[in-house]
Amino acid sequence: MTARKSSSQTTLENQPSSSLPSSQLSRADRLQIFNQLYLARYFDIRLIKEKKRGRLRGTLYSSHNQEAILVGSLFGLKPTDWISPIHRDMPAFFLKDARSGLENPNRMGMSIEQVCCQVWGRVDSPGRARDNWSHIGSKEKHIIHSTSMLAGTIPVAAGVMLADRLNGGDAVCLTYNGEGSTAQGVFHEAVNFAAVRKLPVVTIIENNQWAYGTPVSLECPTEDVARRADGYGILGLVADGQDVFDVYDKVMMAVDHARSGLGPSIVECKTFRAYGHGDHDDDRANKYRPNQEVMEGRSRDPIAICRRKLAALGDLDGASETAYWAEGKSASEATNDDFPPEVVEYLERGIQFALNSAVPDGNEGEQWVFADSEVSR
Amino acid sequence: MSASQTLESPKKQYLNALRDAIDEELSLNPDLICLGEDIGLLGGAFGVTEGLQAKYGTDRVFDMPISEAAIIGTAVGAALNGKTVMAEMQFIDFISCGFDQIVNMLATYHYRTAGEVSMPIVVRGPAGAYGGGALYHSQMNEAWFCNAPGLKVVCPSTPADAKGLLTASLRDPNPVLFFEIKELYRKREIEEEIPSHHIVRLGEAAIRRFGSDITLVSYGQNVYHCLQAADELVKEGINAEVIDIRTLVPLDEDTIFASLEKTNRLIVVNEAPMTCGFAGEIIARVSEKAFHLLDAPPVRITRLDTPVPWAKPLELHVLPSVEKIVNLAKRLVAF
Ligand SMILES: Cc1ncc(C[n+]2csc(CCOP(=O)(O)OP(=O)(O)O)c2C)c(N)n1
Ligand SMILES: [Mg+2]
Repeated sequence: MTARKSSSQTTLENQPSSSLPSSQLSRADRLQIFNQLYLARYFDIRLIKEKKRGRLRGTLYSSHNQEAILVGSLFGLKPTDWISPIHRDMPAFFLKDARSGLENPNRMGMSIEQVCCQVWGRVDSPGRARDNWSHIGSKEKHIIHSTSMLAGTIPVAAGVMLADRLNGGDAVCLTYNGEGSTAQGVFHEAVNFAAVRKLPVVTIIENNQWAYGTPVSLECPTEDVARRADGYGILGLVADGQDVFDVYDKVMMAVDHARSGLGPSIVECKTFRAYGHGDHDDDRANKYRPNQEVMEGRSRDPIAICRRKLAALGDLDGASETAYWAEGKSASEATNDDFPPEVVEYLERGIQFALNSAVPDGNEGEQWVFADSEVSR
Repeated sequence: MSASQTLESPKKQYLNALRDAIDEELSLNPDLICLGEDIGLLGGAFGVTEGLQAKYGTDRVFDMPISEAAIIGTAVGAALNGKTVMAEMQFIDFISCGFDQIVNMLATYHYRTAGEVSMPIVVRGPAGAYGGGALYHSQMNEAWFCNAPGLKVVCPSTPADAKGLLTASLRDPNPVLFFEIKELYRKREIEEEIPSHHIVRLGEAAIRRFGSDITLVSYGQNVYHCLQAADELVKEGINAEVIDIRTLVPLDEDTIFASLEKTNRLIVVNEAPMTCGFAGEIIARVSEKAFHLLDAPPVRITRLDTPVPWAKPLELHVLPSVEKIVNLAKRLVAF
């Protein structure tokens, strides 16, 4: 059964490619995107290596093979836009507003030092290591703090955007969700409200075909999860989540749509979870998922697809851009030599900073339950 | 006194006192927004927000779809982006549909961000039994929230406290769960004059009646059952002190302990079910910290561990009553 497209989808997808948002990107932009894919991949691979060496605790939720969704969706945002990442989006924290320069302390994203401190549970994490993994955020940098509760931040995103509009702002908010999480009641409740109020919330569905041990067919009755949009009368788009430029195009269409007051949208990015749900699940995932499906799913590496596109455009003429080949390699296969040195150095700096940062004092465990109040004892 | 109360009337009913608090805060705090089901156009199922949308506009007071999760989640997001929020639950029973957003998203926000983000949000709504509301329009589910660190929990029993505590709650940087007693909303007997800009600090109990023989601790409408019981007990020569804690979190333990210094006997009354209810919490704290003050076992009178049934004899059977308080008090004094 093929999925039918809503009329708005058809209109947008029929646009000639010269009018696609990605056609406006410069060569420098495209190379930066390529570099960011490497950065996200290296972050993932390096953390797995660190964990195997016993140097960090906690579960890792890999974004390996899904990096194009993060890079492609974040690249076109304005610095003041908001995002709401979840467990599989760890690189989003430092990729947000990376365009303003990864080294720029004023950019509207987190530094790699902050993110590494979070991963290592250090006191210099934005949340002082009070919750784990991706459960951090920043009011100042416009990153919504997530919890473990799947889809739970979508109504929060709606509230942030409601307040933004009441304050006369023009921000949009990207929320990230797995396809499995769209089965949550709060997903429906929040998207419905955002639709009713035409709030600029773009809900990105990272459809990696699996929700932990459950295939998408048992989570969603339609072929395209984006078809859920039809029920809310909002824009629903499907992107090839392995193609960073297709993600960029679809998300930018949704972002422009939202910013111009036309309301929220659902952008489904089709991808595949390359390994286990978390690193604790890698071995079991090899058993509950058919090998054939896994091999096919891994075969469309977003870095390779980006490389091919850049090559076709003639972007990759210098030796430096073709020297690194991380694509297709697992964490145990890839080495530092497969990545651009500046990518390795960037993360190395973050890790060293984290290792030198203190663990929090136990007493902090009882702090900050309440804010100080003048009207309460 | 004219039969119908107007805004000009010097005496206020509990419901009007609540409205005045919201009205005053809307005029003083430009960042305050109010959201809930049917609170704008209609003015709320009970009329607490009546006239406020007309006065302040649809950007300040507005209707939400029937989704408690979206109401709370939206409040959280708006607070994250600089707003102060009053969120109404049409009946406090329905708060369970927004439970996750309250206990996991809202209550923890300040904690998990190490103080970066505070959540000035009041979630308020009509609560309580004794009115024939049956299982789903009668609950007192305050204990669920007392068990979620990061939330303040308030329950006023008088019009002045309704106004003063709501004003304080709307000015508190923390999330406050505000339990209103719908049976008191329009109760003529308790109308009273309230100064404008009246504020009652959270965490301070009120002694409603002074006595020396036994301490009755309560909140919400059970305070009135305690006061009536105290009147009955006088006939038996027993002088009961009645404490209205007003705020469950934070709890004013000192006022309770000070009373026990005199009376050495304690009954705690609440209309929520017994097991893991707040009455048990008060008794646990007294047992731990003031055991030496007690001359008799501290006891509680609560709803039986049942839902709230509908038919009147059923409802009255399971709830605390004046009679139950009087009988138990007599036994305790004789202990
Ligand atoms: C409300 C809730 N229920 C269950 C879980 C446990 N859980 C964490 S991730 C996950 C699977 C999520 O699948 P999906 O939404 O597709 O995201 P993915 O992990 O595939 O990126 C589950 C069941 C949770 N975190 N929150
Ligand atoms: Mg999934």
